[in-house]
Amino acid sequence: MAERSKDGHPTLLHGRYELGRMLGHGTFAKVYHARNLQTGKSVAMKVVGKEKVIKVGMMEQIKREISVMKMVKHPNIVELHEVMASKSKIYFAMELVRGGELFSKIAKGRLREDVARVYFQQLISAIDFCHSRGVYHRDLKPENLLLDENGNLKVTDFGLSAFSEHLKQDGLLHTTCGTPAYVAPEVIGKKGYDGATADLWSCGVILYVLLAGFLPFQDDNLVAMYRKIYRGDFKCPPWFSPEARRLITKLLDPNPSTRITITKMMDSSWFKKSVPKTVRSKEEMEFDAFNGEEDGNNGGKSKQPETLNAFHIISLSEGFDLSPLFEEKKREEKEELRFATTRPASSVISRLEEVAKAVKFSVKKSETKVRMQGQESGRKGKLAIAADMFAVTPSLLVVEVKKDNGDTLEYKQFCSKELRPALKDIVWTSPVNSTIA
Amino acid sequence: MFAAFKGCFSLKRPKQTPGYEKPSVLAAETPFTVSEVKALYELFKKLSNSIINDGLIHKEEFQLALFRNRYRRNLFADRIFDLFDIKRNGVIDFEEFVRSLGVFHPNALVEDKMKFAFRLYDLRQTGFIEREELKEMVLALLHESELVLSDDEVEMIVDNTWKDADTNGDGKIDLEEWKELVSKNPSLLKNMTLPYLKDITMAFPSFVLSSEVEDTEI
Repeated sequence: MAERSKDGHPTLLHGRYELGRMLGHGTFAKVYHARNLQTGKSVAMKVVGKEKVIKVGMMEQIKREISVMKMVKHPNIVELHEVMASKSKIYFAMELVRGGELFSKIAKGRLREDVARVYFQQLISAIDFCHSRGVYHRDLKPENLLLDENGNLKVTDFGLSAFSEHLKQDGLLHTTCGTPAYVAPEVIGKKGYDGATADLWSCGVILYVLLAGFLPFQDDNLVAMYRKIYRGDFKCPPWFSPEARRLITKLLDPNPSTRITITKMMDSSWFKKSVPKTVRSKEEMEFDAFNGEEDGNNGGKSKQPETLNAFHIISLSEGFDLSPLFEEKKREEKEELRFATTRPASSVISRLEEVAKAVKFSVKKSETKVRMQGQESGRKGKLAIAADMFAVTPSLLVVEVKKDNGDTLEYKQFCSKELRPALKDIVWTSPVNSTIA
Repeated sequence: MFAAFKGCFSLKRPKQTPGYEKPSVLAAETPFTVSEVKALYELFKKLSNSIINDGLIHKEEFQLALFRNRYRRNLFADRIFDLFDIKRNGVIDFEEFVRSLGVFHPNALVEDKMKFAFRLYDLRQTGFIEREELKEMVLALLHESELVLSDDEVEMIVDNTWKDADTNGDGKIDLEEWKELVSKNPSLLKNMTLPYLKDITMAFPSFVLSSEVEDTEI
C-alpha cells in the first residue's frame, strides 16, 4: 500500500520523493519504493519512527552510523543517498537493489564453487574497502546480501546495523530465523572484540552456506548451537574441494587471534582461482579508448597547452574553495594536486612517464595530457591518474593532477610515495613551497 | 501569516538565533530541502560559535574555518564573505548563509552562479569589472601561490584576457560581456559549485533529532 496523506494523494517527501508501495518492514523500519521526481530515479526509502528509536536510546548510534554510511561508497555496498527527518520520522533514501536476496538463490540449492567464488569475492571487496576505512559491519548475515539486476552482490545495512544490533540485546533476534548462526564466538561472548576478524568469521559462515546449502552450526537447542560456535565445531560436506575446505577452516577459527586475516585470505588459492569480477568503470573504459588525439588533432603538428585566461588563473585561489567548511580534512590531503613549473610540457610528461614506469602503470599521453593506470585492480578498480597541463605564460605551466579512477586512499598513498617525490625538483618556487598542495 | 510563523517558532525556540528564518521558507527559495536546511543549521551552529558564541559568523570565524587560521587574509575569501553578508552588517547570519550557499549547490541555476561570480570580481562594486581590478586579482593569486612573474608577463595575461572579454571595447567588462565569456569558457564557473552540498544531510546527521517539521510538510 502506498502511504497516502489525508487528502488521498501519494505522499511527497520534501517535494522531492514520491512514496510508492511498501517493500518490507521490520521492528523499527518500513521500506517503501520511492521515486526522486527531479531525477526520475527509484530509491528504497527506509522510514524509521523517531519515538521508537529515542525510547530505546539509539539516536546517537544512528547519527554515528549515518556518518559511516557516507564514508563507504563502493560498487558492492548499497549507497545511502540522503537523510530526511520530520517531527516523528527519519527517512533514509537508499539505492534500490532489484535482484532480491542472494540467499533466495540458495533456497533453490547450493551453488557451484566457481559461482560462489564470484559472490564471495564481491563480498570481500566490500568488506575490505570498509575495513580500510575503519568501518566494520558486525552483523553480516544473509538478509544483508542483495543482488542487483546484473547479478552483482550488494551489501546493505553497512552502518545501519544499529537496528539489528539492538535486537540482539533485546533477545528478540532469537525469534528471527537463525541469525546468531553468523555471529563470531567472541561477539556472542560479549568480550571486547575486533570488528575486522569478527566480520571475517561471518564471511566464513556465508561462504559455507553458499557451498553447502545449509548452516555450519545448527542445532534446535540454542545452547547447543552456541557451544558448537564456541568450539568451531562443524563439518564440511564431501563435495567441498580441498582448497575450499582449507579456507573455511581458517575462517571459522573460533580463536580470533589465529583466524586468517583478510589480506591472507585474498591471497589463498581458492580465492585467487579466478580473477575477481569487477564492474569496469566508465573511467577504465575511457582509458582504453584514449589515444591522445581526442581533439581531432591528427598528430601532425605539436599541440600547445591551452593558455589559461586571467579569470581561470584567479579562480584557482584557495579563497574560493569553501570545502573546508564542510570537511575538516587538511588541504594537503586534497585529492587534486596542482603545481606550477617552468619546464616545458614535454619534460613534465617524461617525468610522469618515469613515475608510471617505476610502478608498472600503463601510460597514455598527448602533448598536454598524461593518463596512467595501474595493471591490477585495487579496492575500487584500477587506480588511474590524470595530469593536464595549462599555460599561464609561454614559459610557465600549471599542471593539474587528479584521481581519474580507483580508491582514494590508494591514490593518496601513490601521491605521497611516488608522485610528490618525483616531481619535487620540477615544481616552481622555493624549497618550502606551498604551491604543491 | 508572519505572526503565525513567529508564534510557532518562539514557542519551541526561546533562544532564537538571529536570521533563523523558517526552514520551509528557506527551502522554497533555495535549491535545498527542509532537511538540508536543518543540516546546514548544524554546520552553521559550529561555524558561528567557534570564536564568539553569538550565532553569527564573523570574518575571523570564516577565516578560521577556511584556512585553520583566524588571522589569515585572502582577497578572494574576503570577497566571498562580503557577498555572503547580504545585509552588510559585517557578519553572516543563518539566512544569509543558506541563501548564499544555495548559489554553490550543484543544482543551482548557472545564471545565478554567473551573476555571483561577476559580483565577486567587481571588487569596487561599480557594476563593471575594471582592468585594474582584474590585474589586482591576478597579482593577488600569484602572491598567494608564491609565483613571481614580471610586470610585462602579468600585463600580457591581462591584455589577452581583456581582448576576449571586453568585446565592445569600452574599457570595462559588463554583465553581458561576462555572460559571453563564461558561455565560451564554462570552466570559469567551476569554483562556483560545491559538490559537498549534495551530501549535507549525511555530513551533519544531528538534525534528525531536532527536526520540528510537521509530517504534513515533509
